[in-house]
Amino acid sequence: MKKIELLPKWCFQILLIMILSGCVSIPSVTIPVTNGSSSSASPFASTYSAPESSATIIRGATVLTGTGKQLDSTDILFSNGKITALGLQLDAPDGVVEINGAGLWVTPGIIDVHSHMGVYSNPSVRAHSDGNEAVAPATAKVWAEHSVWPQDPNFEKALAGGVTTVQILPGSANLFGGRGVTLKNVPSVTMMGMKFPGAPHSLKMACGENPKRVYGDKGGPATRMGNMAAYRTSWIAATAYHKAWSEYEKTVANGGKIADAPDRDLEMETLRGVLKGEIKIHNHCYRADEMANMIELSKEFGYKITAFHHAVEAYKIAPLLSENDICAVVWADWWGFKQEAYDMIRENAALIELAKGCAIIHSDDEIQIQRLPQEVGKAMAAANRMGMNLSPAQVIKWVTSNSAKSIGLGDRIGSIKNGMNADVVLWSGNPLSVYSKANKVWIDGALRFDRSAPEHNHTSDFNLGIITPVGDRP
Amino acid sequence: MKNLFIKSLAISLALFTVGLANASGLLIKNARIIDGSERDASQLTDILVKGSIIVGLGSGLSAPENGRVIDANGRPVSPGFFNADTQLGILELGSVADTVDSSTSNRNITASLQVSDAFNPSSVAVAYNRSLGISHSLIQPNNGVGIFAGSAAVVKLSESDNVVIKNAAMVVSLGQTGSDLAGGSRAAAMSLLREAIEDARDYANNKDSVARGNRRAYSLSRHDLEALVAVVQRRQPLLVRVERAADIERVLEFAKSQKITVILSGASEGWRVARKIAMAKVPVIVDPINNLPSSYETLGSRLDNALLLHQAGVKLMFTGMGWQNTHNAYLVRQSAGNAVANGLPYNVAIQAITSNPAQIFGLPGYGQIKVGAEATLVLWSGDPLEVMSNPDLVLIDGQEQSLQSRATRLRDRYYRWATE
Repeated sequence: MKKIELLPKWCFQILLIMILSGCVSIPSVTIPVTNGSSSSASPFASTYSAPESSATIIRGATVLTGTGKQLDSTDILFSNGKITALGLQLDAPDGVVEINGAGLWVTPGIIDVHSHMGVYSNPSVRAHSDGNEAVAPATAKVWAEHSVWPQDPNFEKALAGGVTTVQILPGSANLFGGRGVTLKNVPSVTMMGMKFPGAPHSLKMACGENPKRVYGDKGGPATRMGNMAAYRTSWIAATAYHKAWSEYEKTVANGGKIADAPDRDLEMETLRGVLKGEIKIHNHCYRADEMANMIELSKEFGYKITAFHHAVEAYKIAPLLSENDICAVVWADWWGFKQEAYDMIRENAALIELAKGCAIIHSDDEIQIQRLPQEVGKAMAAANRMGMNLSPAQVIKWVTSNSAKSIGLGDRIGSIKNGMNADVVLWSGNPLSVYSKANKVWIDGALRFDRSAPEHNHTSDFNLGIITPVGDRP
Repeated sequence: MKNLFIKSLAISLALFTVGLANASGLLIKNARIIDGSERDASQLTDILVKGSIIVGLGSGLSAPENGRVIDANGRPVSPGFFNADTQLGILELGSVADTVDSSTSNRNITASLQVSDAFNPSSVAVAYNRSLGISHSLIQPNNGVGIFAGSAAVVKLSESDNVVIKNAAMVVSLGQTGSDLAGGSRAAAMSLLREAIEDARDYANNKDSVARGNRRAYSLSRHDLEALVAVVQRRQPLLVRVERAADIERVLEFAKSQKITVILSGASEGWRVARKIAMAKVPVIVDPINNLPSSYETLGSRLDNALLLHQAGVKLMFTGMGWQNTHNAYLVRQSAGNAVANGLPYNVAIQAITSNPAQIFGLPGYGQIKVGAEATLVLWSGDPLEVMSNPDLVLIDGQEQSLQSRATRLRDRYYRWATE
């Protein structure tokens, strides 16, 4: 009762914040304000657009392109949100912002394909626990984006670590956890203002211990075989749903007799999206044998697995993953928190690389996301100790171009070449080093973070006046 | 049969070699010594080890007869590192309850839980972290049902004689965790703490009448009170887990009024009361990597917390990195490296993972590289705080430790299959 009475006041406050944010001018940051509704055909469509920005040239930096190359003393030019030139002593257009990159390093914007920012926001109180719809084992119907709180103070810390794009996933309590969403790491009052235009949805699936632990005494599944039976049951239903809708659409397209549309079902709509190849499967799965079973399952029902996440034992089936064009999304070194995370090796990503597969380092954690290149550095050093000879140029793709490919954006982000989005990070040194920091971060050519001008960097509403009335969170 | 014999002979020889103490001596030539003391960075030093002890430091030392010589070629040598908050050897797999000895739900065992009783030096996490440069740790219990978690121990990650200090500190949780355990309100946790300390004092002073059954009822079991006697008699520090600035101030006031020695652990908002902590001469265990408001008591957490505490004169110990502080206890050096990246002087960061815990817990032979000290040393491929460096040699008490672990065994199997 009390809550209902409070509601109008709460709504008013949100509205006030939205209005204020639109009026206050913040030098290097643009906050799109939106009414939250969309007239376009697809609901919850992106309202993001890149702010105006001047052309920028970074001169004489060491550039890791994300495509496997390291270019020394190189200039990089970007304008109108795109990378337009890369080379030695480039001619700069009039009015360009010149930045001396001597002694500094440049990478593509860092991409984290496994984040729960906004759905498990800080402070991590129950009220912010929005990542697992743990009421039933199959909830393909839920969308992580509907849980995202754009004011999560974690976003800006990730930006300070060079992270420009994040895939926000539901948790792993459920066999089908729901749809994931790809966001640009920009300040916004609404989720739609962060949503990456045109990025495909993903579907989070989970193997192993988590679903059987959560549902073991709530009606199941209670075992790994129970997990498999439940996936198959859902895919059988999805296959029938897909057939019914495809027949209906064909009839309408052929101008035939107007048929009755089948009933819409949100759960089935997501699974149908996977069967049509529009939604990418990002599958939480630790053990090698289970990943192999999941590959069989995908073949039984004719869908594609894009990536296995956490994949602690990916190194045991590196050739199989490579043959099936499945990325292994791993930590550099996390282990031991549960049985299925016992067989970690620090060379996991490297053995995927050795099998010519797609290795990706993810964070799944708001501390790790702030320094993903350090995670890459650790994995590279372990690989080279084993006897491989990997360079920063090769391994930076584990958090850039490989990551971009797995979320269907390899043609727009994750590498530094002409025509790509100008998501660029300028580092104080070799980004894989513990001592290096992101000095500047651009998204679509707009400067979003500048370590030398902290007063211009955006901070979440949450942080304002929360330490003292005039003291924001540091 | 014969083959089998030769094979097992070879294996036992190999084991023997790895575990061999340097009876006839080991000379590490041309090392860059890193132990937190001010040294000329370009100076290369020879380190002579005999048995378990460093017996010589200098330049141009001659090789011991029949001994080994390793040329460090300018690579750094540091003491083995110390992680001040782990569950090494008392927790094998976090979610497998059978393997977790770090806490109990028994109502009568809170302060009296001694994690040293459960320490398992054969845990794969022990061998793994040893091979990656950790030689010592404060292993801490976690709370079960009471605000007291039990006694933390200092362990050495060696095969034998590994519990160095059985009762190194009594762990108590205040703040939010204390509030949950006390049934709500951090004030209730403080009340329980006050009552326990009063009871322990009364118990210590009246043991005879307690034994005769002539004393009032106490808030804790006899064993729990017995465990707290060392705290009220200042023979053991109280390690207080606390985050918020105001909560830290309450702890400092309480310690002063009760004349007990404390160590703070967590202290996300320590920077806000750094001068008071320094004036009370209270050391602090922090993970310098924490900078997020993960709860309402850590709103002020920031990457330069360690720096600000240091500048105020607070003595630091480190844990980390993040919640992987047990299985990846060795990554305390990544947390330390990030503290340096955020302004902490390099040597101060090294002290926080070597000589400071040695001094605070009383380990005279460990923590610095000097003649007469334990030869607990790591030869690194590069700067030990750099994430891309790894140990090339690990010695504990002069004994060379294997750089193999279950993880490298798995690695080698699959690498071999991939490259054959």
